[in-house]
Amino acid sequence: MRIGKRRWMLITAALLSISLLFGCTSSKNNNNTPANTKAEEGKTETVKKVIKITYRDDGIGEEGALYKWIKEVAASYPNKNVEIKPTPIQASEGDYFAKIALALKSKDTAPDIVTEDTFILNSDASAGYLEPLDEKLKGWEDWTNGSFIEAMKKGVTASDGKVYGVPYNTDSRGLWYNKEIFKKAGLPENWVPASWDEVLQAARTIKEKAGDGIVPIWMNMGKATGEATSMQTYEMLLYGTGERLYDDASSKWIINSQGILDALTFIETINKEKLGPPLSKVLNGQAGNTASREYLPQGKLAISLDGSWITGNYFEDGASPWPEYKDVLGFAPMPTSQGQAPGSITLAGGWALSIPSNSQNKDEAWEFIKYALGKEYTQKLVIATGNITVRADVAKDPGYTQLPFNEIATEYLKNAEFRPAQDKYPEVSTQIQTMVEAVTTGTSPADAMQKYAQDVTRIVGKDHVMEK
Amino acid sequence: MNAKHRKAIFRILPYTILVLIAICFLLPLLWVLVASVDANAMQSLKMPNRITGANYADVMTSPVNQRAYLIGLIMSLGQAVLVVALALLAAYPLSRYQLKFKKSFMLTILFMTSLPITAVMVPVYQLFLSLKLYDNIFGVILFYVASSIPYGIWMLKNFMDSVPNDLEEAAWVDGASVFAGIRKVVAPLMVPGICTVAIFTFSGSWGNFFVPYILLQSPEKFPASLKLYQFFGQYGMVEYGKLAAFSVLYAVPSIVMYVLSQQFMSKGFGLQGGTKG
Amino acid sequence: MSSLAGNVLYKKRKTYTWLYFLIPSIAIMLVFFVYPILLTFFYSFTNLALTGEAAKELKFVGISNYVRMFEDPTVRVSIWNTLVFLIGSAVIGQQVLGFLIALLMKRKNKLFRRVVGTIVLAGWVTPEIVCALCLYSFFGDEGTLNAIVTSFGFTEVAWLFTVPMLTIILANIWHGTAFSMLVFQAALDDVPTEIEEAAVVDGASRWQVLTRITLPYIKDTITTNMMLVTLQTLGVFGLIYAMTGGGPGTSTTTLPIFMYNQAFVNYQLGYGTAISLLLLMIGVVLSLFYIRSMKE
Repeated sequence: MRIGKRRWMLITAALLSISLLFGCTSSKNNNNTPANTKAEEGKTETVKKVIKITYRDDGIGEEGALYKWIKEVAASYPNKNVEIKPTPIQASEGDYFAKIALALKSKDTAPDIVTEDTFILNSDASAGYLEPLDEKLKGWEDWTNGSFIEAMKKGVTASDGKVYGVPYNTDSRGLWYNKEIFKKAGLPENWVPASWDEVLQAARTIKEKAGDGIVPIWMNMGKATGEATSMQTYEMLLYGTGERLYDDASSKWIINSQGILDALTFIETINKEKLGPPLSKVLNGQAGNTASREYLPQGKLAISLDGSWITGNYFEDGASPWPEYKDVLGFAPMPTSQGQAPGSITLAGGWALSIPSNSQNKDEAWEFIKYALGKEYTQKLVIATGNITVRADVAKDPGYTQLPFNEIATEYLKNAEFRPAQDKYPEVSTQIQTMVEAVTTGTSPADAMQKYAQDVTRIVGKDHVMEK
Repeated sequence: MNAKHRKAIFRILPYTILVLIAICFLLPLLWVLVASVDANAMQSLKMPNRITGANYADVMTSPVNQRAYLIGLIMSLGQAVLVVALALLAAYPLSRYQLKFKKSFMLTILFMTSLPITAVMVPVYQLFLSLKLYDNIFGVILFYVASSIPYGIWMLKNFMDSVPNDLEEAAWVDGASVFAGIRKVVAPLMVPGICTVAIFTFSGSWGNFFVPYILLQSPEKFPASLKLYQFFGQYGMVEYGKLAAFSVLYAVPSIVMYVLSQQFMSKGFGLQGGTKG
Repeated sequence: MSSLAGNVLYKKRKTYTWLYFLIPSIAIMLVFFVYPILLTFFYSFTNLALTGEAAKELKFVGISNYVRMFEDPTVRVSIWNTLVFLIGSAVIGQQVLGFLIALLMKRKNKLFRRVVGTIVLAGWVTPEIVCALCLYSFFGDEGTLNAIVTSFGFTEVAWLFTVPMLTIILANIWHGTAFSMLVFQAALDDVPTEIEEAAVVDGASRWQVLTRITLPYIKDTITTNMMLVTLQTLGVFGLIYAMTGGGPGTSTTTLPIFMYNQAFVNYQLGYGTAISLLLLMIGVVLSLFYIRSMKE
């Protein structure tokens, strides 16, 4: 036994020393990378500046569309004195925002360019993590000559009126529907509902006629689906009543209103009449994927209130390849509650490239952003990821419009609304999710709204809330 | 007759209960094991149409996974060794000398053994930034060591209490130093305890994804636990077979550690000594 | 122990040698463990946030995080859930089941002991995240349990949705029972057989032997084990997070999950650390309670 123990100690000791070595070598390797490339090229005498781009990698690494895109843009980038280095953060969507916030805090960890979701952009800007770009944008022709769709600039403008990022994609939301199921239920294959009632009526018809096992309508209604519940479901409904989350004129959050009640009542109706998905499926974090990757392609779902990007799943190399989606799916606009003007509504989100305040190479980063987000590469990126473009010139390009639904999804953007550019929005959003889930599981809309009012008041303070 | 029956029941009953318990413990493992060799694994439990090793092969041949696995091993083994070495040293005076503050020190240590580390991760992150240890594998090992050392000291002190001091004194008479006494006399007698501590700390960090998740940034430094967590969260829900295979492979080191040390484990779990000291 | 102190040889050794032995451990604990705990305490009185206006400059906000905590109904729900989870899975589940297995296994066939023991241990050696996956697929809508239930002619149940708390309690029992089993096996092995046999000869029933002799003999082990299991269970995060994420609703939101959500989903680090402190305080109170009952 003693010999065995000694041997064990030896092995572990050896492994420990390896681990120490490993720690050193791995950091050395990192330092060596620029040096190595310099040696390979041989000619450049100045040390290359490394521009780090941080984005979210959902675990597929070098297969990811963003990684490939960065590599492609970097390869053709004329300024060879900088090296463009992808430094992905591997995390789920929710975790990504926490991780970038942690990274942006310090000079040691901040990248030079970061991809920011427009919903968190304002918070990060208020935190002082991001560099305002107004001065730089003034000198960029693309920005001033209308190449960027004007409405899209709102998404990257923070509450202080400054611009903190250059958008590279956006999205719109609407009602995806399965034309085959609609046909079977005797509903029009070219469906344009004019009000919420018509949506509910279609769902009831499907429940009656399309047979068992088919979910009439799917909306994300749980806390687990996070921002998808707030934006794709609740805000699409609330904004459709003509009301907003935040009153810009008085700078107050609206915590009590008929619009909130109407939106919640719609959700209540779906669940009371059992027009929605089983709660065990919709109240977990995978709900969004279950709907878009399983139920919809398998013909088990008739209507889905979801984002324009879900078709990305159906591409050949997507998560759930489904070549027939072009013919089977329709994409109807989400009507306003009574069909009042403007008739339909959509919320737009999207992503932008921003420069962290803690970046050491702001000018070089800016030059690269200008190059990467010109027409050519923006177009490549949105096509590869199945997103909608923010550039007017790309929107007209046949290479872009030939993709199914691109044109129609871009069309919906003309009524697009953005989420409030308030740094408290992410916190308010989690209260929205709590409220929606409460109604879904049987709380009355009035009670749920009352709790929402209390929670939001606690978060933003008594002076920043109002009733309507 | 009646008494005989009763006796028979009392003999069989424990076996029956234990078999039932064992079945309950076995069932949750079924899916992972079956799905890992199923070419078309789904979330539901079903007999595979075709048994395949492809899931394992895919997971094992991926250099990314190999790297994560190796890093995980290095972290956990490195931590286990450091904890045993440091805790053994610290346990010695606590076991052998009458110290004024010992009682409260030991109680503090006992309390610290199980503090939820989730609770302190934010300050730890800040600390790591200021010490330039962020995104450094060795830094993660250090934190692991710090968080499991209380447990190591507590367990080893109790083990050491049960090692008689005559042998050690004999060694001193022969001219050995205190340190040599520990190394040559006390430690060899405490192999069960050392193994228990090593295994415990090993599996603690091997299974932890939260600490590396907060303290590391570069994907190439991620240990297996974190890779698996992401696998689980991201597209694990699609590639069930690979997810299951990865899970099984990931569980292997813990199982190996256990099997290697099984002979000491039962002894290693005596807590009685701890309260007598 | 006290006899050791009086020992001449120990006295001859330099009195402060022990100090050197403790330094490395104490230093590493101070820097990486105690200091962060103190910082946690400090941050709980600030508006520390990950992002948003508050992230710009750190401000003292007095006890407002604590005020918010006592006004927040979700905190009460989380405390309640934590206690249910604790009592269900640790105090009753792991402790009682672990003891039962150890007791039943006593003096049984060696091979049988080994097989059953290994199966129970499988849950323990399996890393947390794999446990979560195993139990998630077990309780899932199309999972093993529903396959069993339907084969008996019953209808499927959405376990994770209808009885989420029960599923995470069972998951934690599955994961943790082996620890208590090992502890009690070791303790039961220490109980001198002669005493028990003598009692049987005197006409005591099995139950009497258990309650009057065996249990009192291992009383200290029970208390210590109770404390360790309690503290471990208080901190369970990954298992619950991966299985239910604290939902549906707040039905499985325990304090660690709630703290995580506040700190890393709502980005309110200051509030999150105040909740961590609450969690730590619950641990302290329970520990003191156990330690006191051990002294009696």
